[in-house]
Amino acid sequence: MIRAPLSITSVLDEATEVVSMTAAPWAGVLVATALPYRFLQALFFDQLIEVGKDASQYGRLLGGTANLIVAAILLALWGRAVYARACRVALGRGMTPGREVWRVPAAALISYFLTSSVLLVAGTLSALTCFGLLIVSIVAGLAIGTMELNERVSVIEPFRLMRRYTRAATLIGMSFVFFCAIFVALVNIAAAFGLAVWALSALGGFDAPRWELLFSGNNRRYMLMLVAGALIAVEPFWVAAHVVFVRKAGAQERGDDLRAWFEELRRPA
Amino acid sequence: MTCAKTLCQECATQWDGIWHCAACLAAKRGAKVERSPVFSWIAVVVLTAVCLFGGARLMVWAAALLAGLFS
Repeated sequence: MIRAPLSITSVLDEATEVVSMTAAPWAGVLVATALPYRFLQALFFDQLIEVGKDASQYGRLLGGTANLIVAAILLALWGRAVYARACRVALGRGMTPGREVWRVPAAALISYFLTSSVLLVAGTLSALTCFGLLIVSIVAGLAIGTMELNERVSVIEPFRLMRRYTRAATLIGMSFVFFCAIFVALVNIAAAFGLAVWALSALGGFDAPRWELLFSGNNRRYMLMLVAGALIAVEPFWVAAHVVFVRKAGAQERGDDLRAWFEELRRPA
Repeated sequence: MTCAKTLCQECATQWDGIWHCAACLAAKRGAKVERSPVFSWIAVVVLTAVCLFGGARLMVWAAALLAGLFS
């Protein structure tokens, strides 16, 4: 039973517990399936910066990478769906879930593919605006949070479910927290790389001076990989937070939280 | 609980965030699962495929547009 109120801090607190319960092996599944997608995204941006204003003349090159990204998205979405299920099962049982996590219901998975592909189009169209991307990232969180509630395949129902669970203030607050978390993760990953290069330079036998040039802010590819790494590092928390949010919002909607609270109040009396 | 009976914590089982008694859970398990119509499956798969295909094309178009604006 969920007794805590639906606030950003309570959602993040429970999400942290869920991530610690699902870290091994389910967060590993999420990271492994997200790696090709994030690295292909980094490659796409690298190619785009390389060709610059002549990008319109390199349609075949960029198009080829974009096709690979779309293929990698399907794998990443499946990984997210598995991890969201792991979070939901862990929340219910209070312990690390087992093999049943692999059995993501087909209706839930195909509904998640639908919402995510629509969001891919919306996100790309809104790339020119700042607020558009923020709204798309919020809706993407709701899509993964409500994924398992889709019991039947429908074109409209997944979007109705997302609308039902929309609590604008909490979702915007959570997005802001995760936006900051990406920078924190980025700094940590950069520090880890710096530490590794420094430690290896003491061993000898490696071309350490060259490594310091490669792992610096001047190297565009290194920076893009850092951003990709930061996004991957934050993803388990982001998925868990949205699963917890939808579950708590559902308990609030059904009145389960109030019923539990009322019982607790009556007990001492 | 669906039947609204009072039960102790040990006798109740949680399913999707709701506590159920053994009888309610058995009824839930025995309930006929409604399958989605084939038309819905086809519509969802086709719409997803169109969005993914269009998404790749849009990605290149938006990238070229952004590169032109910022270069």
